[in-house]
Amino acid sequence: MIKNNLEWFFPILFLLTFYGCTVKAVGDPQRPITIQAHITVDVKGLQQTATNIEDFVSGEKPEESLKTKPQ
Amino acid sequence: MTIRKWNAAQRIGLSAFLLLTLAGVSPGAQYEIKEMTPEVKTALENRRNRFDQLQAFETQGVLGENNRGYVDVLQHHPEARALAEVENKDRRTIYQTIAQQNNLTDALETIEKVFAEVQREKASPGKKIQREDGRWVTK
Repeated sequence: MIKNNLEWFFPILFLLTFYGCTVKAVGDPQRPITIQAHITVDVKGLQQTATNIEDFVSGEKPEESLKTKPQ
Repeated sequence: MTIRKWNAAQRIGLSAFLLLTLAGVSPGAQYEIKEMTPEVKTALENRRNRFDQLQAFETQGVLGENNRGYVDVLQHHPEARALAEVENKDRRTIYQTIAQQNNLTDALETIEKVFAEVQREKASPGKKIQREDGRWVTK
């Protein structure tokens, strides 16, 4: 059991290194640190939403189409 | 299924999927109007009601779809200008609602560009559209 878990230890540690980011700020509280946050937008999902809305506007689809269906 | 038989690449792949899922960055994210507020509902219905009039002006080349998700006035025409103003106001309401309800307030420009792309695709031949590089062309 322990041996099985060890096989997963390094891949998970590797991924946590990249995805589990912790920012520790130490400094003068009078001079706040600005952290640039980057967000990722799934353009494909957004395209589907836009298509549904434009189809509704043009009368091609009813209002129900505005709710994105799970893929 | 025996986990021990999985190779390293498979384990990394599954780990990545689990981590991304837990982080809320699942692949194929869906964005939608989660709550149909009175403002966005009015904006959508207004757009639907003026669709034919807008199409008529676009067919004449008086109005065109720009590359930022809005309508531009291409020829002097007071009535078309007034129509474009209210149309753009409603479009902005819709884009901002999507941004706010999907935690994408920093990505409003991306939302506008994606809508612009869809509007270009849906524009029928003969209409003026602004390409991504800024050039106006007749579709």
